[in-house]
Amino acid sequence: MSERFLSAMLDDSMAEVARRVQRSLVVVHNGRRGAGAGVVWRAGGYIITNYHVIAHGKPAVSIQDGSEYPARVVAQAPDLDLALLQIDSPQHPAALLADSRGMQVGQIVFAIGHPWGQRGYVTAGVISSLDTVQTRNGHGAVPIIRSDVLLAPGNSGGPLVNAAGGVLGINTMIVGGDQGVAIPSHVVESFVNQSIEERGGARN
Amino acid sequence: MSNENNPLIALSDAMVAAVEKAGAATLMVNARRRMPASGVAYAPDLILTADHVLERDEDIRVGLPDGSQVPATLAGRDPGSDLALLRLESALAAQAEPIPQPARIGQLVLALGRPSPQGIQASLGVVSAINGPLRTGRGSLLEQYLRTDAIPYPGFSGGPLVDAAGRVAGINTSGLARGASLAIPAGLAWSLAGILVQHGHIQRGFLGVRSQPVAIPAAQQQALGREQASGLLLVGVETDSPAEAGGLLIGDIIVAIAGNRVTDPDELAASLTGSVVGKPTPVEVVRGGKPATITVTIGERK
Repeated sequence: MSERFLSAMLDDSMAEVARRVQRSLVVVHNGRRGAGAGVVWRAGGYIITNYHVIAHGKPAVSIQDGSEYPARVVAQAPDLDLALLQIDSPQHPAALLADSRGMQVGQIVFAIGHPWGQRGYVTAGVISSLDTVQTRNGHGAVPIIRSDVLLAPGNSGGPLVNAAGGVLGINTMIVGGDQGVAIPSHVVESFVNQSIEERGGARN
Repeated sequence: MSNENNPLIALSDAMVAAVEKAGAATLMVNARRRMPASGVAYAPDLILTADHVLERDEDIRVGLPDGSQVPATLAGRDPGSDLALLRLESALAAQAEPIPQPARIGQLVLALGRPSPQGIQASLGVVSAINGPLRTGRGSLLEQYLRTDAIPYPGFSGGPLVDAAGRVAGINTSGLARGASLAIPAGLAWSLAGILVQHGHIQRGFLGVRSQPVAIPAAQQQALGREQASGLLLVGVETDSPAEAGGLLIGDIIVAIAGNRVTDPDELAASLTGSVVGKPTPVEVVRGGKPATITVTIGERK
């Protein structure tokens, strides 16, 4: 494989990752200053974001074409810094999910969000370490993904994706430090399942 | 694009494999009060690490990838290059593989560390620059060092900077340049480690001269049989020094020591390091416009 060919193919793959993810990436407003990111997690208008993004205020969601929807808070888990929202746009495509239980240190990852208000901004790096943090209520020791991707305010609630564009986790502010931290997708998935079951809603 | 043909996925898989391979040879080094640092298996029972992370000579413990910890003793150390070598009681480590060719600017690299029993840690970057030499104090000179933009997380000192195939391109340290992280190239680190195994320290020699670089005219270069545009003019020879004992004189121009060319003070320091120390060594000079070889027994700097 010639180097020119390889680099062109790499560029194409990265552009494809960004395209796949940006389809289901949203902006989450809270009616005040600042905004976070969110991911359409499941068909039916279910959106995952960070708890701290919607904790104070009435959430609204802008999808990629710019249209804005009011959002209901279906469930929230402050200790995981997660919130499940629902908007009345059931056709909106859900993100491709990757099973974070198979993730490994060194894997190439991309964070996509709106750092400092820049829409759909992509940063790249690798998974730096797999760690656990102790949460205060209910969830006990929770696995987290540490990565060396550059994160800034506005990345909160946005996805960390793998080289195939599958969502490995949700970027969060749950712990400080100089490393990007994400809640793995399998933890998010069980939070979503539990939240929808508790509401008596059907899985769809 | 299918996953099989996706170069981004292939690259990601290669990075995971590189972390697995080099991570097996990356160990935890616990010899200071604050968080442990990292080390690299130079041999199955010899661990290369950064000298500055060893705050004590005794009760040194090395953490293996399986989470177990074993005692280690100090086999040698060289504060000048911030390298130290630890010895395990038995051959417990997976030996690291150094890169066959020197690192190149722009090359993809991973910085690895194992500062905790939780597992290997990694950050991605490129070789940003290859610089040197660096004067590190007490007559020591690091011939060359690498810079990278891979994030040096706490406890990464002593750990490896590896290429995409998991081969060691350098040993990371934050102890040589104040506030900055750099890597000692693997070739240099491995050769210094070889000296540490034998001698326990790096011998740094001295002549006892003051010198300054001067141009060598073309005619003299021809007489020397060397294409060398400059040498070191001796402007002072210390009393009772190795240089005086060997017969070096003010006005001599040193052009080579033990066959290695000397064109500036950094090359002089480099040529006086290692096996020449304490031995009668040929010093090629220009004296009165003519080449001459003077035998000097190189002194050891204590």
